[in-house]
Amino acid sequence: MRLSAMKGALVLLALAARLWPAADPRAAAEANAGLDLARAGKYLEAIRHYRAALALDPSLPGLHLNLGLAYFKLNRFTDAVPSFEKATKADPADFQARALLGMSYYGSRRFADAAAQLQRASDQQPDNTELRFRLAQSYLWSQQYDAAKDQFQSLLLKNPDSAPVHMLLGEVLDAANQEEQATAEFEAAVKASPREPEVHFGLGYLYWKQKRFDEAGREFQAELAAQPQHTQALTYLADAEMHGGDEASAVDHLRQVLKLDPKIRLAHLDLGIVLAGRNESDQAAAHFREAIRLDPSKPDAHYRLGRLWLAMGREAEANAEFAEVKKLAQPEQLEPLVRIPGRDAGGTQ
Amino acid sequence: MKAPLLALLLLAAGWIAVGQNPASPIRFVYRPIDFRLDSSETPERHAPETMAGGVAVFDYNNDGYLDIFFTNGADIHTLQKSSSKYFNRLFENDGKGNFKDVTVKAGLAGMGFDNGVAVGDYDNDGYKDLFVGGVHGNHLYHNNGDGTFTDVTAKAGINRPDSQYGPLWSVGGAWVDVNNDGLLDLFVVNYLAWDINTEPRCEAGPGKYDYCHPKFYKATPNQLFLNNGDGTFRDVSAESGIRSHPGKGMGVGIADYDLDGLMDLFVSNDKVYNSLFHNKGGGKFEEVAFEAGVALTENGQFISGMGVDFRDLDNDGYPDIAFVALDNELFPIFRNLGKGGFADVTESSGMARLSAPMAGYSPTIADFDNDGWKDVFITRGHVQSLGYASRVAVEQPNTIFRNLGGMKFQALTAEAGLTAQPPKRHRGSAVGDLNHDGRLDVVASALSAPAEIWMNDSPGGNHWIEFALEGTKSNRDGIGARIKVVAGGAAQYNHVSFAAGYASSSAGPVHFGLGRNASVESVEIRWPSGMVQELKNVAADRVIRVKEAE
Repeated sequence: MRLSAMKGALVLLALAARLWPAADPRAAAEANAGLDLARAGKYLEAIRHYRAALALDPSLPGLHLNLGLAYFKLNRFTDAVPSFEKATKADPADFQARALLGMSYYGSRRFADAAAQLQRASDQQPDNTELRFRLAQSYLWSQQYDAAKDQFQSLLLKNPDSAPVHMLLGEVLDAANQEEQATAEFEAAVKASPREPEVHFGLGYLYWKQKRFDEAGREFQAELAAQPQHTQALTYLADAEMHGGDEASAVDHLRQVLKLDPKIRLAHLDLGIVLAGRNESDQAAAHFREAIRLDPSKPDAHYRLGRLWLAMGREAEANAEFAEVKKLAQPEQLEPLVRIPGRDAGGTQ
Repeated sequence: MKAPLLALLLLAAGWIAVGQNPASPIRFVYRPIDFRLDSSETPERHAPETMAGGVAVFDYNNDGYLDIFFTNGADIHTLQKSSSKYFNRLFENDGKGNFKDVTVKAGLAGMGFDNGVAVGDYDNDGYKDLFVGGVHGNHLYHNNGDGTFTDVTAKAGINRPDSQYGPLWSVGGAWVDVNNDGLLDLFVVNYLAWDINTEPRCEAGPGKYDYCHPKFYKATPNQLFLNNGDGTFRDVSAESGIRSHPGKGMGVGIADYDLDGLMDLFVSNDKVYNSLFHNKGGGKFEEVAFEAGVALTENGQFISGMGVDFRDLDNDGYPDIAFVALDNELFPIFRNLGKGGFADVTESSGMARLSAPMAGYSPTIADFDNDGWKDVFITRGHVQSLGYASRVAVEQPNTIFRNLGGMKFQALTAEAGLTAQPPKRHRGSAVGDLNHDGRLDVVASALSAPAEIWMNDSPGGNHWIEFALEGTKSNRDGIGARIKVVAGGAAQYNHVSFAAGYASSSAGPVHFGLGRNASVESVEIRWPSGMVQELKNVAADRVIRVKEAE
């Protein structure tokens, strides 16, 4: 449940503006030309001049920083990283270089590295809210939940009505399986900004996880009121309705989902379940089959289909599906990540 | 010095207040017992470290009071009890509220990394014996009747490595007469293939190991040992049909689910499908979990099946299944439909929503408020280590799920006084009336923490009755005997089974709550031999001893 993306939020740092001394006049000229182009928003051309300057004098102070910044402005975060790494190595106390390095790691989805750099930058500027926000996100995505929680909570002290911060803190808590607290954060987010995109879906999802299907349904409907094509909200709404016993609405909504996107597996599975319960066995089987086709590695649709065949007296077909379930439980299917002691490790869950 | 004293007094007062919540129809009061489960937890997080903790409640010396036995771990590298801290422990109940450690005298300290325990009088001598299953080593302790036990494992022949799978890791077992010959046979639940030298390591974070998902280990078969009646057993795992269905067994429940007079076996498996071994007679079983609808829960996922109990929850005469799993996997309830099939009623019973955030280990089905409906006591705690606590609630309190009738449940935790102790990684549990007050008490173990006794202090003054059976043609413990009690015009059913929860054994008399009924109109006992005995107009609030008619 990732609610926000990096794009559009990089207003943290002003463009570096450094004129170079003329130790090597040709290098300085290239660097200054690059700087003028960057100021004009012509980053690709600026990069060419920076690179030319580097070729002439790689020790020119600040050049790596500005080259990195040009890449950064083009959202080429992976390309920006080596330049910022060099810049921070040259001057470990340079806040700007370190913050940009952290942001570039973030943009490259190297969240643990981002957290490490952004933490150091944040230590230099503890009141920089945007930096702290990114730091908190970096901790979240790198699964350092305790640290993420601390950062989001400190952000909330300064801005208690920030829906995005409540939502992200909610995500941290959800990831840490603290669903009740996560729910409270999303409820606070809804209260702070009920029109925030995804806020009702996020809250509904948490209710859904806790089997609070009535409340979940209401939130999914609120999200759909703002975003009628939100297929996930529609799918989960139908699922909540199904579990809540409102099968007619569930069927309507599941059919809507499949019109919008026939590849949503959960919709096929749920429709199969409801139709099987109504003894519309052939249709139910078709949906179970489609759910299997969309993801044959999951046992649930095989099991459902097997149970359906059994109820229909089609024992051989039932046994075939049960055999698939058993196959999925076999080690060769489930143990691709076996590790030998002393080597690197696999996951726990 | 005054401040700490005051703090202690306030703390104590708080415990009392929590433990005596007057609003709850079921409540417990904590009592300490001098046992701390030591599973040799290491930073490497070897799988057995998180699985220890069987408990038995049984009367080892026939003095009428239920005693307590705990299994314990060992050095994980040697699988030997290298220190007394790893000893299994037997506590004798003196009937006055004291539990005296008689382990050494009884000869039950043990040797290896022990996990589960099963109580049963396998030689019909009137003294309950102990099967103790463990990591690469099982033991059978014969009760000599003089307060001591003798390790008869070698003679019994129940501890041989498997020809294909090597040494097995038993997490528990059940004594059950599968062929109704009057001798208790032994079903052993084996978890998974584990070898410290080849075990995978799983990283929960940089440099932090945690217990691996069971998918990283191979399944192993369960075992069935037929009692020869001379102190020896015959391994019939293969010929009975059990061995051909390997799994990752965590619990076994025994019941005659189709009322054909033969005891069946349900095994809950960890992250693979469950097994239901239907007893066909003649010592043969067929595995029917898929056909019966108990292989997976309704949502068709492989869940972390842990302990199980298999008893009639809705008073329709057909044993139902309750087992537990980890958070967001729910504590499933399978209702026996009476035609060989089961329905998953986890959601409609309310258990889905109640249990969604919980991780459970050991469920026991019993009537804790004596209202005539069996409840489910569940020890809780996560399988992961304490280092994982930022991601999941590793330490949890226990919870009693009160049966409101009609397969609806209410969860009681703090209300029932069960937060009077800090949350822990609870493991096994066993149940019995320890103080003869007619209310069922609970003993629970917890990893690297003191064990707990939860004395039942439920209000209401409901009546009760217990049956202590003595088989003559049937096995002496009467395991498998089905008891029907009619009180106030309503029937209830239970059967004798000592297999309880996770790795544990509850070997007290069979307990019935009677609500406001001070007597029972009729009692019907169907013995495994086929003998049926009836009692009429029996006064409540007592233990009735019934010997099988010759």
